[in-house]
Amino acid sequence: MRLAPPQGARPRAGLGAEPRACRRGRPRGQAREGSGRPPGGRCRGAETESADRPHYFSLAGRFGYFDAEGELLYSAAVPYGVALAPDAFATYERLSAGFAIRSPSGEELARASLPGYPFFDAGRRFVLAPDQCSVTEIGPDGRALWSRQFGSVITAYGGSPDLAAFGLMDGSIVGLGLRGEELLSFAPGGSRLPGIYGVAVSPDGLLVAAVCGLDKQRLVVLEKRSSAYRVTFHRWLDSDFRRPLAMSFTADGRHLVYEAPGGAGIYERGTRRESLIAAGSVGRVGEAVEGLGMLALLAGSGEERLLVCASPDDRRLIDLRLRASDASLEVDGNSFFLGLDGNLIRMDLREE
Amino acid sequence: MARLALRGRAAALLACAAGAALAALDWPLSSPSLAATFGTAAPGGLVTGLALASTGGLVRAVEGGEILFCADAPGGRSPLPSALGSFVIVEHARQVAGVYSHLAPGSASDYLRKVKPGDILGAAGASGWTEGEGLLFQAFDRKEGRWVNPLLLLPPLGDDKPPVIRSLSLLRAGKSYPLGETRSLGQGVYGIALESSDPSAAPWTAGPLAPYSIRLVIDGALAARCVFDVARASGGELVFFSEGPRAAAALRGGEGRYVLAERLLARGKVVFEVQVEDAAGNRRSASWSVLVE
Repeated sequence: MRLAPPQGARPRAGLGAEPRACRRGRPRGQAREGSGRPPGGRCRGAETESADRPHYFSLAGRFGYFDAEGELLYSAAVPYGVALAPDAFATYERLSAGFAIRSPSGEELARASLPGYPFFDAGRRFVLAPDQCSVTEIGPDGRALWSRQFGSVITAYGGSPDLAAFGLMDGSIVGLGLRGEELLSFAPGGSRLPGIYGVAVSPDGLLVAAVCGLDKQRLVVLEKRSSAYRVTFHRWLDSDFRRPLAMSFTADGRHLVYEAPGGAGIYERGTRRESLIAAGSVGRVGEAVEGLGMLALLAGSGEERLLVCASPDDRRLIDLRLRASDASLEVDGNSFFLGLDGNLIRMDLREE
Repeated sequence: MARLALRGRAAALLACAAGAALAALDWPLSSPSLAATFGTAAPGGLVTGLALASTGGLVRAVEGGEILFCADAPGGRSPLPSALGSFVIVEHARQVAGVYSHLAPGSASDYLRKVKPGDILGAAGASGWTEGEGLLFQAFDRKEGRWVNPLLLLPPLGDDKPPVIRSLSLLRAGKSYPLGETRSLGQGVYGIALESSDPSAAPWTAGPLAPYSIRLVIDGALAARCVFDVARASGGELVFFSEGPRAAAALRGGEGRYVLAERLLARGKVVFEVQVEDAAGNRRSASWSVLVE
């Protein structure tokens, strides 16, 4: 892990950005490999803000865990894919017929014998079937809890601990509960062509947002009232995306961040107001996280990246251009963890 | 004649005038070699499209349309993997969407919006969960919300080889009784499983290729007719056939084996006749008898 802070990070206007590089940790525990080289990787968010929980990354063909002090807890090569969560991971081959669920230290916790690809999110573990039309949720022991066959190809997913929402090629969104029961079934419609390009679920499971349809595309936000989800907001968009979109709620659920032409669209839950954080010159927006009332975005593709830290109304604290073939961003309290190819960098925001 | 019948069937399935515009479709690969047909038992379930073996062949739009979705790169922060690998969905005419999957990574033509017949959508590959290099092509009837067997929509392939019938077995209490080897058995309710496949010249297959239709006659009466024409999700399960729908989980009896029906077999001699047909109209028949005591 290289230890250099990002060049060009400049504190502004009363807030200090204090870059702090993660030091390379000595590998601990068992079953680790490749600890002598820096982890490339997408460092992705621990889903709960706990100082004790390890952070994880997956970038440039490697994945692993590290703690907030930069201690590398585990690092290994990604065989074909990896499902990552704060408490477990599973690697898989391209023709996976089953996989082991392992702890962040690499200890085998359980095995699952299902063809397809695992993915872990919001404390739940799923296996996507080879046809991409069927999902099975598995329990801690790796056994199937329920399976669901959808009518067409799954094109988007968003989840909370209680709701897993799947966007389908036929233009519908299906939300499933903990027993696989259908909690939501909605086809936004209204566009010339149907389709679901991104889905996000708020951490409390009360809001479901989607970017859907073509000609015109629109943002739809559903809110759970009593027992049913109803449209609480919608807006026609200028976008014409025909690919999977990055879309998520911030950890506190206050903001929805979604890819928009020229940057990241922001939807504020409390006021239902929208804004845009411009990041258009470097292509697609990837990660979006929130800390100290600031939104941090990582945009870009190819070798060019842009790290933006801004208020929801686009007052900039950091506007940093970086060169990296792979990058990631995670937040934990007032600490931002930036992954750039072979580096993991921690930046602490503090008020001055 | 068989091919014309198939076309008429496709027209009926797609709720359009007989033959209308269907002749305009073309194969997505120039030298299609079938590695899985609609209904083929592959790991994870029965196939709802056609797998075509190819090494790096150019994948072309089967007819004009509009790109609806193109997944050729990880989708931002979403944890959702792509079992279909790199894939493109094209909205074709008559509310039929074509899904072109397992393309070579980075080859999907994500810059396209409108496509003309034969436009290049990508290169055949082995991205995602596929057992060989090539293309998975699926046709989704958006109006009816179901998968349609692409062989109903595409031009006929030169095929004069009839399907193979390997065995017909009776299933009960976890045991299998192959007819021909079994002369007699006790009365009761049995599952009736046919092992049959369509020959393939492809360098790899996802499993023994499913025939297009299977007809089972018991003592002169039609007991089951399985036509691999459509599949849809119903009640959270995948269900095949437009007439006499049957859940894929109940239909699948292993590699190349289909559980056609369950029947109470009463005392006496029982005669089973099976007729299997492929999409080109080639047929094969076989019959067996067993004494039920």
